[in-house]
Amino acid sequence: MSDLAIPTVQAKVKSERSSIGSLHMVQTASILVIALVIVSPLFMLLIASLKDDRFQILADMGSFRAFWVSSPTLSNFAEIGNLSGELAFGRYLVNSLIILASTVGAGLIVNSMAGFVLAWGSLRGRALILSLVIALYVIPQESIIMPLVIMVSRAGMTDTFAVQIVPWIASPLYIFLFYQFFAQLPKELFEAAEIDGASVFRIYRSIFLPLSLPALATVSILMGIESWNQYLWPILVTQTDYARPIAVAIATFFGQDSIYWDRAMAASVLMMIPILALYLAFQRWFVSSFVGSAVKG
Amino acid sequence: MTLQQTVRPAVIARSASRRDNGRLIQEISMLAPAVILLTIFLVVPFLLSFWTAMTNQPLVPRPTPIRFVGFNNFLRIFRDELFWTSLWNVSRFTFWILPVQCGLAFATALLLHQKLPFRNLFRGLFFLPAITSMVVVCVIWGTLFQYPSGPFNQIIGFLSGGRIQPIDWLGDPNWAMFSIVLLSAWQAYGFQMIVYLAGLQGIPDELYDAARIDGANAFQRFWHVTMPGLRPTHVFVLVITTIQAFKLYTQVAILTQGGPKSSTETVVHYMVRSGFEEQKLGYASAVSVILFLIVLVIALLQRQLLRRFDV
Repeated sequence: MSDLAIPTVQAKVKSERSSIGSLHMVQTASILVIALVIVSPLFMLLIASLKDDRFQILADMGSFRAFWVSSPTLSNFAEIGNLSGELAFGRYLVNSLIILASTVGAGLIVNSMAGFVLAWGSLRGRALILSLVIALYVIPQESIIMPLVIMVSRAGMTDTFAVQIVPWIASPLYIFLFYQFFAQLPKELFEAAEIDGASVFRIYRSIFLPLSLPALATVSILMGIESWNQYLWPILVTQTDYARPIAVAIATFFGQDSIYWDRAMAASVLMMIPILALYLAFQRWFVSSFVGSAVKG
Repeated sequence: MTLQQTVRPAVIARSASRRDNGRLIQEISMLAPAVILLTIFLVVPFLLSFWTAMTNQPLVPRPTPIRFVGFNNFLRIFRDELFWTSLWNVSRFTFWILPVQCGLAFATALLLHQKLPFRNLFRGLFFLPAITSMVVVCVIWGTLFQYPSGPFNQIIGFLSGGRIQPIDWLGDPNWAMFSIVLLSAWQAYGFQMIVYLAGLQGIPDELYDAARIDGANAFQRFWHVTMPGLRPTHVFVLVITTIQAFKLYTQVAILTQGGPKSSTETVVHYMVRSGFEEQKLGYASAVSVILFLIVLVIALLQRQLLRRFDV
């Protein structure tokens, strides 16, 4: 921008300042109102989980008492937090955590390795594999689930942890996200390491992976949410408490004649905690521009 | 000196080719886990679904052999009124969810893009529903929708002074799908909001400065700079939301089981029911093939639209 242009812009800005001030007020007000509307159901959930009487919970709902608890109690959590037997939500939570940690852990390694080779490898079929991976992205989970159920039941994998982990480790979307991230890093990084005699795996492990914290964080959050929220697949492949995840267990509240809202609320809060922790831990790196770069893909 | 010069290229060539082989093996073994897993758990079941769709495969193995039935499953699906109802229902759902969810995402992204105090805090808060599991969303909204005296009905009763009768949100065929739209939009708009924020960040500030110099007011800048800059983002968001809408399942399975009077029956719910309650896996696979074709058409449409805008 030339020096001449700056004063003009500043003059414009000055004349607009008063209108900007009122615009700011409107914006702040509307953001507060929307935030209130968006967040209040979650706040209500937290409050209700601390109330003991399930009929009182419903009675309070329509008024401001939904946002206030006079004598908070953790009795709902004590009731459902068992590790075995009925209402073993402690166990379901642990099951879900095992599935989440294994899926995300293995997924980060498998998908980032593939993404790295596709971006920097010297393999001849690289471009072809990349376009195949992108093409696979179109296939929705829902449309392969029927044959997949036959396959895993033939293999005797039903009602295990493995059946809820292994099929969802590799994913076209995350391979592509890693590919995209690695490909935009400077060429000199790779070449310098290569001249120093580092192997491909070594370059990936010691140079590119430490640089890809934003990508790792983004994929962790996305994969974590996906794994944590799986519902259709686990109801089809789990029959007993052994590997049942918490999402399926919470859904069983709805099958009863009279819903125990107090317990359902407590179980829901229990289910929110780990994924919230994961989100808060990685949010700093969950850069929106990174997700946005996938838009044109 | 001369000796070195004659020897060196050969040595380099030999060690280079050995290194190339080693490198190739390393690359293949780094790529292999992903390729093997994708093949077993994505490509094979995908191809299998086309085969299963043309058989009378039951869920539980029976002594009678599985027969090839050609396109019979598809013909029976097209003759089933419930399938067309489910397709109509997801179309209705799409029609409502597009403006509600994308509008909410766009509005919140525009607000968060401004330089406001506590912007990051608000961004975190606005994303909270997106990390909330659909099952938990159903617990929350299941209470909000209570009939006749749940929170929504009490609020509406209060605002209308009791003139509007309580609405049976999930039990009235006229309202059930709309209620599902509301809770789905609340749950899912966060992702689209992030995508819109990224799109907004992608528009260079110089364009706004230039427009300002030309005397464009806030609305004109929005209409002539922001909107054209967001065209690919709009296409992407609309397409993703549409594809999501056609896969609607969890909230319907938990809250309404497709009812009342099939008013919230969806394609995926129909598929799961025919596969696991009626145990007709071949038939269900045929539904899944149809679902895939629908998604494919939408995705191809997106590519066409994006290509047009990129020019």
